[in-house]
Amino acid sequence: MQVFGLVLVPWVGLLAFAFPRTWAKAIALIVSLFDLALFVTLLSHAGPGVNWNWIPELGIHFHLAADGLGLFLVGLTTVLVPAVILASPRSERPAYYWWILVSESAALGVFLAQDLVSFYVFWEVVLIPIFFLLSGWAGENGRATALRWLIMNLFGSFFMLIGVVAVGMIHQTETGHLTFQLASLAATSFHGAAGLWLFLAFLVAFMIKAPLWPLHGWMPSAYGESPPPITALISGVLSKLGVFGMLRVLVPLFYPQMRAWEPWLIALGLVGLVYGAVIALRSRDVKMTAAYASLSHMGMISLGIFTLTAAGAVGATFYMVAHGLIVGGLFLLLGWLERGTGTRELSALSGLNRKLPRLSAWFQLFALATLGLPGLAGFAGEYMIFQGLVRANVAAAAVAGVVLIVASWYMIRLFQGAMQSTPREDARAVDLNVGQVGLIGVLAALVVMLGVWPAAITGHVGTLRPAPYHVVALVRQGGSAQ
Amino acid sequence: MIIPMLEPEFLMGIGVLVTLVLAMVVRERSNTAYWSGLVFAVAAGVRSFTLHPAAHLVGGMMVADGYGLVVNIMVTAAVAAGLLLAFDSGRYTVEFPALILLAGLGGMIMGLAANFILLFLGLELLSLPLYILAASRRDARSGEAGLKYLLTGAFSSGVLLFGMALLYGSTGTVTFINYTTLHLIPVLLGAGLALVIVGLGYKLAIVPFHMWVPDVYEGSPTPVTTFMAFGTKVAAAAALLRVLAFGFALTSGVWGLALGYFAVLTMLAGNLLALPQRDLKRLLAWSGVGNAGYVLVGIASHTVSGAQAALFYLLPYGMAIVLAFGVIRVLEGQQEGAQMEDLTGLAHREPWLAAGLTVALLSLAGIPLTAGFFGKFYLIKGALQGDQWGMAIGLVVATIVSLGVYFRPIQYMFREGEGRPAQWSVGAAVVVAGAAFVTLFIGVYPQPLLHFVAHAATFTWLR
Repeated sequence: MQVFGLVLVPWVGLLAFAFPRTWAKAIALIVSLFDLALFVTLLSHAGPGVNWNWIPELGIHFHLAADGLGLFLVGLTTVLVPAVILASPRSERPAYYWWILVSESAALGVFLAQDLVSFYVFWEVVLIPIFFLLSGWAGENGRATALRWLIMNLFGSFFMLIGVVAVGMIHQTETGHLTFQLASLAATSFHGAAGLWLFLAFLVAFMIKAPLWPLHGWMPSAYGESPPPITALISGVLSKLGVFGMLRVLVPLFYPQMRAWEPWLIALGLVGLVYGAVIALRSRDVKMTAAYASLSHMGMISLGIFTLTAAGAVGATFYMVAHGLIVGGLFLLLGWLERGTGTRELSALSGLNRKLPRLSAWFQLFALATLGLPGLAGFAGEYMIFQGLVRANVAAAAVAGVVLIVASWYMIRLFQGAMQSTPREDARAVDLNVGQVGLIGVLAALVVMLGVWPAAITGHVGTLRPAPYHVVALVRQGGSAQ
Repeated sequence: MIIPMLEPEFLMGIGVLVTLVLAMVVRERSNTAYWSGLVFAVAAGVRSFTLHPAAHLVGGMMVADGYGLVVNIMVTAAVAAGLLLAFDSGRYTVEFPALILLAGLGGMIMGLAANFILLFLGLELLSLPLYILAASRRDARSGEAGLKYLLTGAFSSGVLLFGMALLYGSTGTVTFINYTTLHLIPVLLGAGLALVIVGLGYKLAIVPFHMWVPDVYEGSPTPVTTFMAFGTKVAAAAALLRVLAFGFALTSGVWGLALGYFAVLTMLAGNLLALPQRDLKRLLAWSGVGNAGYVLVGIASHTVSGAQAALFYLLPYGMAIVLAFGVIRVLEGQQEGAQMEDLTGLAHREPWLAAGLTVALLSLAGIPLTAGFFGKFYLIKGALQGDQWGMAIGLVVATIVSLGVYFRPIQYMFREGEGRPAQWSVGAAVVVAGAAFVTLFIGVYPQPLLHFVAHAATFTWLR
């Protein structure tokens, strides 16, 4: 029942509408902290989850359970959402907080779903709150941004819906039993032309949501226009849904197709990795640098999955959590930087480490975490992904290694440009206050903790019940578990 | 002899008589006739719900079965919605309840027709009152709507009648069950069947027989449009499904392919042409055309799931469209019709109204947790069961196009600015709240209704 509580609790935020506007933030915060507490209980004692016969007529179950793959992403969500709420201004309307909570509920549903239709329902519901947040709070071009986000994502999702139904019906013709339980579907093989098309339908939907190159068209405007907390929410939590879907659905259901297309998939991930890094290097806007760095890292995560090795899969799972914390913190810091200095142009910023010592220090930590400094969370994930990549394709590993150098380059360029050299006399600057330091400090502590103790996650990915069948599938097919 | 299965129809018939008498005796501007009409419509709907479905073949003319009951429920819901929206201030004539109940009775008869004669009688009983109702507002646009509806309606009835004559000429029978024994279709019969599909296609508003829809929907009074969009579509779709999935089930090779193309064409054209609309009633009219295409997918796939999905989809569609028209009714006040700009800032002025319209549009777009999602899910399942991947893809493409239609009004509502003030009436509030509740309920827990509908639309000869 805990898992159902996790999904249900954020809807309690509806109360925010019943109280004065100034209370909305506090109510949303309490609700999201309650969800965090539920996650902690889940960590100590993971119950069996819920499995209700939702729509017997169509063979659909409402099946939520926390397994090794989903559990820590649930943790990421429940940690990041309170941070996002705390970083938001108190003057926002209740609807703003309500939509954040709804997106939390839907994202948690995706991470916990063990039935393909339950997965799909939450997968689509998550689009709606973000649509409203972008429409209402993303400035001048918010409406166009929101429509682009919605139509691009639903383009993938609706084709995926055909895939969802078709997968269930192929399973039915093979076994005579209509079900959408992922564990049962994993036992069916989807071969032939239909299998390939279904694989592509799922792949495209996941790539759009992530986003992965070349389907990232909605990303620049959505990340660029929305207020910093929302950018942190989208890049930190929601971008994980796409790559998570690959591990949850693609690997167990379409392993043969992934194996057959492996070189192409790796090439796709590599191009995204390089493309994101190059654009990040050339960007003059600090927020867009971080956005494309994030795109590049999503390419890295997808590479881990596409290697089809246990190390790659575990590394991708770990890196998803690490990346969520790092990029979430980074976007919050950049938001405060923008508010403190009134600009996002890299050329207009310089020497902030004298004027904004606290912001500068924390920014340095998150920049180093982004470029993968050992001892911080990013490194452990990248290491494991490389481990898988070397086994799968050494040339690809070499290219990815070069990109890591580029990553250091763009992050250091960002840091040096904004924080070092001589400060400008005329520019106004407001440093972090105590609350902001406390908030970013918690995220930083988690980043450091995962950096020095990655086994906190990796040790459980393969062992928690119910058995994460994606790893089982990998082992069965010859990849060796660590 | 009164067959229990026909009680809803009798209730509706008594309602027609009572409201007709009341129309003669009560004052103008009195709500008495509305109240009694509402009572009978609701009673007929509730009775349909409580009856235990059992198939009765009545003299080869009608089949009183679960299928008819589902149609009854939907048609009576449409009648009730039309009455509730027309409730206030005696803006509509005192004959309104009698006419709309009569149209509803026609729709219910179409749902249980097992014979072309009864089908035609039901269709005319449905259409004739609607011609009057469409023109019941005393202005030019309403008159135009009434005339257009009358001309196209009469033309389509003629086409349908001609098709029936050809069918009778080639087989010597007009009873559906007698067609099931046919295996080879003679040319004459094929032509007759084609004309029947065209005739019903006019009522269902499928492309290319849809040209009357936007003008009629825009010009008719909103309560009448609400009934047309839901009730007429349900009756026409139900009749078409019964004719094809029951009567011509074994000869689907003749009509299946053509209907599939009609379905894809209707879905795409309806949603594409809805894109540039700024008048909300026209937008919903085009959306109704597109949704007729979705229903057609279920019929054309010619599978058990497809037939069930076609019947089931009418409910999410109908609830969403009733909800949307209810909101328009609140918004339009004394001046009929509403533009997209009128929605500006609605979310801040009238949050409940905006929430209602948002639910309706999300459901029409097929977003989960609203009824429309499971409707589309079921339709795709039906299409795939018939190995009709093309129709499934067409449905998905049309749905993606429709996002541009349904999300623009939502964005208008959440803009800052002054739109038109809303004028709530009790009837409209009941419609908005009820339809929103049903839409969300089916979206979260569709099992009971799905079960009911699936059993009702199980035809013998489908695989």
